[in-house]
Amino acid sequence: MNPNPPRPDHTRFYRDKANGKIMGVCAGLADYTGVDVLWFRIGAIIAASITGGAVIPAYILTGIFAAKKPAHLYVDRDEQRYWQGVRQSPQRTTREVRATFREIDRRLAAVEAHYVSSNPRLADEIEALR
Amino acid sequence: MEDLVPIIAIPILFLALPWLFLHYRTKWKTMGTITHDDEAMFEELYRIARRLNERMDTVERLVAQEDPHFRPAQPAAVDHALSADQPTAAPTSLGAPTRFTSLSANRSQP
Repeated sequence: MNPNPPRPDHTRFYRDKANGKIMGVCAGLADYTGVDVLWFRIGAIIAASITGGAVIPAYILTGIFAAKKPAHLYVDRDEQRYWQGVRQSPQRTTREVRATFREIDRRLAAVEAHYVSSNPRLADEIEALR
Repeated sequence: MEDLVPIIAIPILFLALPWLFLHYRTKWKTMGTITHDDEAMFEELYRIARRLNERMDTVERLVAQEDPHFRPAQPAAVDHALSADQPTAAPTSLGAPTRFTSLSANRSQP
């Protein structure tokens, strides 16, 4: 049933070493939230300069204790965006999934309507069954 | 006046601040996080929605091939994050023959 038994945890923070500059904490935050990594880097530099370097140990501790991002956490960009949405707001994601299902329902209804109303072959077959 | 400072400061320090912290922590815990089961459900929802979208594409293509007059339902104005706006990743479970891909242009826009 499950192709990869140790299912990766999609709602925890990982540091993204592959896309990071130093330890990948900022890149991990960007991957977690969906906000561009540039903002986290600017924020980190500003915070370090304002506090006189007090956030640097916090950065290093986060880099040491946060797990590395698994290599195949997401299949593609779409899945990554979906999980960023889940982490930001599960309620909104639920509404989006519902909208997707409604869209599929609408499309299916169009197919059904097409077959019911304007399919001569089907109409012939129904006639033949009578 | 001098005597009033500790009378005000001590309750603030030892009552108000811990209360504030605990209050917002419990609030954050109840609304912000989702459980492991929720996460599994979200993953399944994603897979089902995506698979249904792909199957729907296939069905519409098949119907359009059978009858050129068929007009698929136009996408609604609302943006939906799960629409298949990228090439399908796993066509194996779908059973969609590749010869229909030329007809998929009418459904590929978000």
